[in-house]
Amino acid sequence: MKIGIPRSLLYYYYYPLWRVFFEELGAKVVLSSHSAKGILAAGLKNAVDEVCLPVKMFYGHVLDLAGKADMIFLPRIVSIEKREYICPKFLGLPDMIRCLKNLPPLIEVDINLYKNNRDFYIAIKNIGCIFTKNHLDIWRACLKALQVQKKYFKLMQMGLMPSEALALIEGRVEDKFLPDGEKLNIVLLGHPYNIYDPYISMDIINRLRSMGAVVATAEHVSEKIVRNYAARLPKKLFWTLGNRMVGAAFHYLEQPGISGMVHVAAFGCGPDSMTGGIIERYAHGSGMPFLNLTLDEHTGEAGVMTRLEAFLDMVRWRKAACGT
Amino acid sequence: MKGYIGIDVGSVSINIIFIDDGGVVAEAIYLRTQGQPIAMVQKGLKKLSGRLPAGSKVRGVGTTGSGRNLAGIIVGADAVKNEITAHAIATSQVVPGVQTILEIGGQDSKIIILRHGVVTDFAMNTVCAAGTGSFLDQQAARLNISIEQFGGIALQSESSVRIAGRCAVFAESDMIHKQQMGCGLPEILAGLCEALVRNYLNNVGKGKDILAPVVFQGGVAANVGMIRAFEQALELPIKVPPYYNVMGAVGAALLAREAAAKRGYSLFKGFGISNMKYKTGSFECAGCSNLCEVVQVTEDGKVIARWGDRCGKWSNAVIEEKIS
Repeated sequence: MKIGIPRSLLYYYYYPLWRVFFEELGAKVVLSSHSAKGILAAGLKNAVDEVCLPVKMFYGHVLDLAGKADMIFLPRIVSIEKREYICPKFLGLPDMIRCLKNLPPLIEVDINLYKNNRDFYIAIKNIGCIFTKNHLDIWRACLKALQVQKKYFKLMQMGLMPSEALALIEGRVEDKFLPDGEKLNIVLLGHPYNIYDPYISMDIINRLRSMGAVVATAEHVSEKIVRNYAARLPKKLFWTLGNRMVGAAFHYLEQPGISGMVHVAAFGCGPDSMTGGIIERYAHGSGMPFLNLTLDEHTGEAGVMTRLEAFLDMVRWRKAACGT
Repeated sequence: MKGYIGIDVGSVSINIIFIDDGGVVAEAIYLRTQGQPIAMVQKGLKKLSGRLPAGSKVRGVGTTGSGRNLAGIIVGADAVKNEITAHAIATSQVVPGVQTILEIGGQDSKIIILRHGVVTDFAMNTVCAAGTGSFLDQQAARLNISIEQFGGIALQSESSVRIAGRCAVFAESDMIHKQQMGCGLPEILAGLCEALVRNYLNNVGKGKDILAPVVFQGGVAANVGMIRAFEQALELPIKVPPYYNVMGAVGAALLAREAAAKRGYSLFKGFGISNMKYKTGSFECAGCSNLCEVVQVTEDGKVIARWGDRCGKWSNAVIEEKIS
């Protein structure tokens, strides 16, 4: 059986876990194509108009899997952390997607760890039962998958981007980037499905690198540090991913050698407007150069380029002024 | 005379200036873009060469504005820089000690915050052009007055009417409503200026620390009604520098001076380019599902530049031809 996984949204966090789990249970995993104009166009045509750009893109990825997979993995991810939520739009994904025609059946399993982290195993059991009645096999597949997932997170904490970490895990070696010139440490914050999707983000990571920056993201910081720093907020945020961004931002604000911070927000994303605002205030408070980029479906890259270029000019200028 | 050329290719106007070695503006040409940037750059250069005394020498050229890359290819620029850096460089030269730059152009508006001669923060308008020159232009045309008279008439008002400034479409219907109620033209125009200023300060200037000296530049700074509205809203004196509408070009020329001095010579192709035949065109690359819109520029039938492709297949081909 071929299980289709959309190369979108939480793919950037949990793909190794999902892939190994399904493969251990004897299934084959098929990914949708890389984000591209055609995928987005299909998404825009079918999505409800109120959702953000990454969710529209998700529609496109699901549609891309039609005909390629026997089933599409589309869990209802409510919460991945005790007393926290994932964006409400994720919660409605299976319901939104179900209305589309000509799709293979969906694997809709609730993943809700709001009350108890151990509820994860209930979800695992529910998914596994589609493939086998043998609970031991499901358990074994789960352990193996968690192991690989752990390695993936570790690699990212060592400074790799998701695509680089995946390439290492899967034994593909990508062309390693060799930065030259004067280096600047720039922190890039944003939802993983925005900043790591080269189409949505207009390849922001590689653009920053080619302009001589070393890019650090929230995924490079360990869970423990993120939690400790996020706890400084007077009140905890509802969203796991938002907490991660805020915690990582606070952490980086205290690190020496960080020259600037870029926050990427999707137009129409409620949590982004909130976390972006919080991070901006703290960055201003500690004198950190800060840039907020809002992405939407326009394909003109000039706006993003102008802002990035001007931001790096400003950071370099400031650095030079501090040096003298 | 020896000096440097600065070219600012904006959405509404193209500004070409010539500065002498000391950075003093000797010539300034302001043309409407009229949707044909290349032809207007050629026309502007022809005009400039006619105005310069015989035996003048161009020691460097810089381009800026949204059409900076295109113009840079055509003229052979020494410096191609974003408009934020260009404006900041020019203004800090003309008004030493400037702390805030308000810039409103045809389709974008920006704020630049400087401290001790260094840019510390900036912002540009996001996905909406409501607070920019195009809107004033349009409304002036609708009321059948020339944009040059706009500010003068607004100044005649003793009070102003409140007009919603959030969105250009709503502002227009609000304006029509007030006009049908019998409000006077000066009051409506003054209200419009205040609405734009309110929108600008809420949107672009949000959270920025606006300190004197405040410099207002860009095409809209010609409007005395806007100057008064800014002074009232900020309760600070507003300075409008001479050559306020070509400051981007001045900055580009200053950057060219720096770049040409570093290089030791200039890349300027000479005034002869005003007689060359340039053609631009675009095609959709069918190489992958990205379907990139590739733009190419030809000079007398020879391809001199291509861009727009995400993978670099077309743009790199031109660079390789040049090297070989």
